[in-house]
Amino acid sequence: MASDIQNYANQRIVEVLASKLRRRQVVGSRNAAIETTLVLRQVVSKARFSNIDQLVDIIRSVGRRLVEAQPKEHTVGNTVRKVLHHIREEYHTAVEGTAAATKKEDFSISRFVSQGQPRKQNIPVPKSEERTTTLRENDPDDPDSFAKGLKPVLMEAIQDVLDELETVYDNVSKNARDHIHSDEIVLTIGHSKTVEAFLKSAAHYRNYTVIVAESSPSYSGHEMARSLSSSNISTFLVPDSSIYALMSRVNKVILGAHAILANGGMFALTGSLLAASAAHAHSTPVVVCAGQFKLTPLWNLYHEYGALDFSDPSSVLGFEEGDLVDKVDVINPYFDYVRPELVDVYITNDGDHPPSSVYRLIKESYDDDDHEL
Amino acid sequence: MTKAERRELQERQRAEKASGKTGSAAPSTPAAKKGRRGSLAEGLSTPGSAQKGKETKEGVSGAVGGGGGEDAGKARGLRIFSHFGLPKPITSHKGEIHPAIVRLGLQFSEFKITGANARCIATLTAFKSVIQDYVTPPNNTLSRHLMTHLSPQISYLVAARPMSVTMGNAIRQLKLEISGTDIDLPEQDAKDALCDKIDNYIRDRIIIADQVIQDTAGKKIKDGDVILTYARSSVVEKVLLQAHSDGKKFSVIVVDSRPMLEGKNLLHTLSSHSIPTTYLLLPSLPSIITEATTILLGAHSLHSNGAVYSRAGTAMVAMLGKEYRVPVVVCCETYKFSESVGVDGFSKNELAPINKFSTPPHSKSPQSLLSASTNENPYLEILNPLYDLTPPTSITAVVTEVGVIPPNSISSIPLALGRNMI
Amino acid sequence: MAVPLVSVPEFGLRSTHSQAISVSATIEEEPSASQEFNVFQVYQRILENEEIATPLAAILALTELLDHSRAGTMFELVKELNGGAEVLKTRTSNSISLNAGCELFIAFVTLFPHESDSFSELKTELVKQGQQYAKEALTYRHKIAELALGFIKDDSVILTHSYSRVVIQALLLAHKQKRISVYVTEARPRGFGVKTYEILTAAGIPCAMVLDSAVAYVMDTVDFVLVGSEAVVESGGLINAVGSNQMAIIAKAANKPFYALAESYKFHRLFPLSQYDLPTHHPDILSFPKPAHRSSPALTARPSVHPSIAGHVSTATEELPTWKSGLLVKSPFQMSMTPEQISRNPSVDYTRPDLISLVFSDVGILTPEGVSQYLVGMFAG
Repeated sequence: MASDIQNYANQRIVEVLASKLRRRQVVGSRNAAIETTLVLRQVVSKARFSNIDQLVDIIRSVGRRLVEAQPKEHTVGNTVRKVLHHIREEYHTAVEGTAAATKKEDFSISRFVSQGQPRKQNIPVPKSEERTTTLRENDPDDPDSFAKGLKPVLMEAIQDVLDELETVYDNVSKNARDHIHSDEIVLTIGHSKTVEAFLKSAAHYRNYTVIVAESSPSYSGHEMARSLSSSNISTFLVPDSSIYALMSRVNKVILGAHAILANGGMFALTGSLLAASAAHAHSTPVVVCAGQFKLTPLWNLYHEYGALDFSDPSSVLGFEEGDLVDKVDVINPYFDYVRPELVDVYITNDGDHPPSSVYRLIKESYDDDDHEL
Repeated sequence: MTKAERRELQERQRAEKASGKTGSAAPSTPAAKKGRRGSLAEGLSTPGSAQKGKETKEGVSGAVGGGGGEDAGKARGLRIFSHFGLPKPITSHKGEIHPAIVRLGLQFSEFKITGANARCIATLTAFKSVIQDYVTPPNNTLSRHLMTHLSPQISYLVAARPMSVTMGNAIRQLKLEISGTDIDLPEQDAKDALCDKIDNYIRDRIIIADQVIQDTAGKKIKDGDVILTYARSSVVEKVLLQAHSDGKKFSVIVVDSRPMLEGKNLLHTLSSHSIPTTYLLLPSLPSIITEATTILLGAHSLHSNGAVYSRAGTAMVAMLGKEYRVPVVVCCETYKFSESVGVDGFSKNELAPINKFSTPPHSKSPQSLLSASTNENPYLEILNPLYDLTPPTSITAVVTEVGVIPPNSISSIPLALGRNMI
Repeated sequence: MAVPLVSVPEFGLRSTHSQAISVSATIEEEPSASQEFNVFQVYQRILENEEIATPLAAILALTELLDHSRAGTMFELVKELNGGAEVLKTRTSNSISLNAGCELFIAFVTLFPHESDSFSELKTELVKQGQQYAKEALTYRHKIAELALGFIKDDSVILTHSYSRVVIQALLLAHKQKRISVYVTEARPRGFGVKTYEILTAAGIPCAMVLDSAVAYVMDTVDFVLVGSEAVVESGGLINAVGSNQMAIIAKAANKPFYALAESYKFHRLFPLSQYDLPTHHPDILSFPKPAHRSSPALTARPSVHPSIAGHVSTATEELPTWKSGLLVKSPFQMSMTPEQISRNPSVDYTRPDLISLVFSDVGILTPEGVSQYLVGMFAG
């Protein structure tokens, strides 16, 4: 493991973020992802490692601590996995062609099954000759050479991740005008920044109406309605009870997501399941706008009732109903699990995908070993 | 358009209608009013608050041109909701309105009396006092003139809040009784007879019907059940209290929603009887629905295809119940049946007035959204539909005083009871 | 080819059943080219190990064939392997899972990158690979059991069908850490469900047997359905003992998840369009008997109370416990189908992918659509 000083430094940065997460001071999945990336960047820049496995271990342990601090905020884990994936990719590109570093891939039947036909062996490409430094792992004379050689590339990779996160809203809204047509009536619930950006971008080109369900008890719909109407989109604010009543006139339902699970389902704000089911009953398409950093390679979360975050019951039944407070159980979950059959398409910053191909996206973005940090 | 111009337009249109129809019967007036809502709403001359005026303006369809001054872009989506109509403020009355009716109208518009049964009983009681105070003018018979006397009272009530189906059915029955009154009967006797008939109606069709429903539905509640209900239905409340006093051990989940948040009243009642309850808001329903064994719902009215017209949000509760295989039972007296066929929540609905219900409780923003909407922001509308329609496919059974019926057989009930109408 | 009898112990049952059920008892010597190597005998011998599933046994049998082979070129080798696979296929009545294993191994052999010039070196390498894989494959069941563990909550009620080693292993593993209760269907006509029942009860898991016809009755109380598989096909669908399709349809109607456990060597490149597109389907299945046969007593269309035949059908029927008591009660007047009638019934069925929630495999948790990705990778191109 790295030296103690380095550990200390790491721990401080990481601890700061972990306590912010624990106290829910980091609000919003995108913010959580950005903060995590910044912390990882710091960690990698200060890390000392002599081979790739050490680096992976360091990042993994950081990731574990952060995920433990706030297990319901899945984007933290996702970002760590993405960074690991990029790091491994960069590492493989870097060592390709270096004779010392190539490990002969054992070709066995089990590998045949999981990876398909054997890929042709890579003959050292001329491009590798330009590389002046060869990466020597576990070099006893100069333990830092490996790290030094690799770090610039890693920093770039992490910067890529950060750039992607920062441009999420723009990329998701890129094709907004193709999805919303003139005079359409669109239904959305609560306040999702991604959906807000999407709708505002479409409003530049099209005239349409938005119905916002206020989504009690957080009533975030009010914020959304205010923000949309200030961009001159004609908006209707309705209580959640009227979603079914109005659904027969709605052309599309656009929702935001908190996390997209590997089976194509998603966690979203309470009330999303109601809206999606009502849309399903009316055969109305349900469109979900989310950044790719919300793709979570976990499956069985929805079986745990505890996977739903519960928040303060006093917003449902306040203390002014004093005599009721101890006689009545009050439930206030923050998220819903929406089945993949109810969602028609996920619009991400990387294109549009149906729920059935989410598992493939996850395979491409993350490495299998990282599913459990 | 100035107020004077609007008033002129309104008078003109009323005159047209009056000449077109002979002897307008009271129930058709509300229907006609609904049809002309677009024009009337904008033609309202309100001595009331300027705010109300603005609201009605916004509720207008662009057709009559009254709202033409506003941005055409803003009025885009409004047309599809225009037929809902906002409750009109109390107009200056033509002719004498009985004080009981005035009081009732005020209670309706302030939402102090809500619920189909409550409104019907209140209306009939008020009519009883109207009838008692009624004096037949000379050269007229009670059976013919009483109705014309009652019509403006009814339209006054409708102006306060659109008529419920229960009120409509009751009034229709009342009219039948009135026209069937024996001409030779002395006036006081006729009036007493009518009041008796009204009492009987209330007793038979509402009170006793409720008791039968309590017993029937109570049989479906077993020990250990978890009953889920939505908002507050007087019938369901009675069923639950009856079952509890019968000694059954069950718990209740109350699901509630804005704008009316009526579930809290039910909550108070239930917990004062020490029935274990859980309370949550509508969006949180999916997380708890797997715990429920039965869903009990009330209805405002029942259409002949089995569709249930009830408080907004009921349709979603029923839909989820069907998805999670929880039986959905609707408790409804037969006097709530309506002969029309309901297709979706748009054909018939009512909007709650914005100023009463726009501020959410415990809202973090101190500024009410109302001011933001009407004054500063022409693009923002607030809609509070009060009712919605649950399709018959989501309903497992309807409990009435004539028994437990599957929803699709509703239309055969009157025939089975030997009545030609409800 | 005669009407296939109720044979083929692809679930690894032996001894008691082999006498009652007539296996293709006489194994004729197959003169194949210049060797006395009998691949079917080898296959059967391997199958005697209860742990090994049919595809694995096929791979091992083919590995041994490879070992004994005297082919000099790749082409001849592959031809021999194909021949051996054919023999195995024709000898077994239900060859789907066996096919999966054969195709996997032959594809592997064909695509194996051979840098070495010596052919015999290549052969030994291949043989080694085959045996290594078989060893590894025995750990797959444990891997799958661990994956499934995450989906099993405390107090889960699980419904399973017939006998599947991987399901049993998953349930036993879950029992160590959580409280579960299990419903097992009888799975007529072979009644393998009883075996599952016995194993689970012996391990202390609360278990109850369910009539095949009572699955819909019990489905509302069940949390999810867990079945094993004979093969997972290209469409993402499942081939398993008859009754699985029924269970999947009922589970879908009741909104319950339906999970299939399948090791990766059961992935098969087949794409059945319907039940009748399966290789095991032949026109005699569920055909109406010809009127000429009605006179002959041995093949009456009506179910008969023949104690001798009833006893002959399968000892499993006699051991059938009644639903309520769970004890083994032999009811004297139990009416059952004749063996001939049973042979007219299918032994496996096909479950469509839209009825399956997830497939648990050693390569990971897959949606039914994800299965085809692996198959294309292996066999396309």
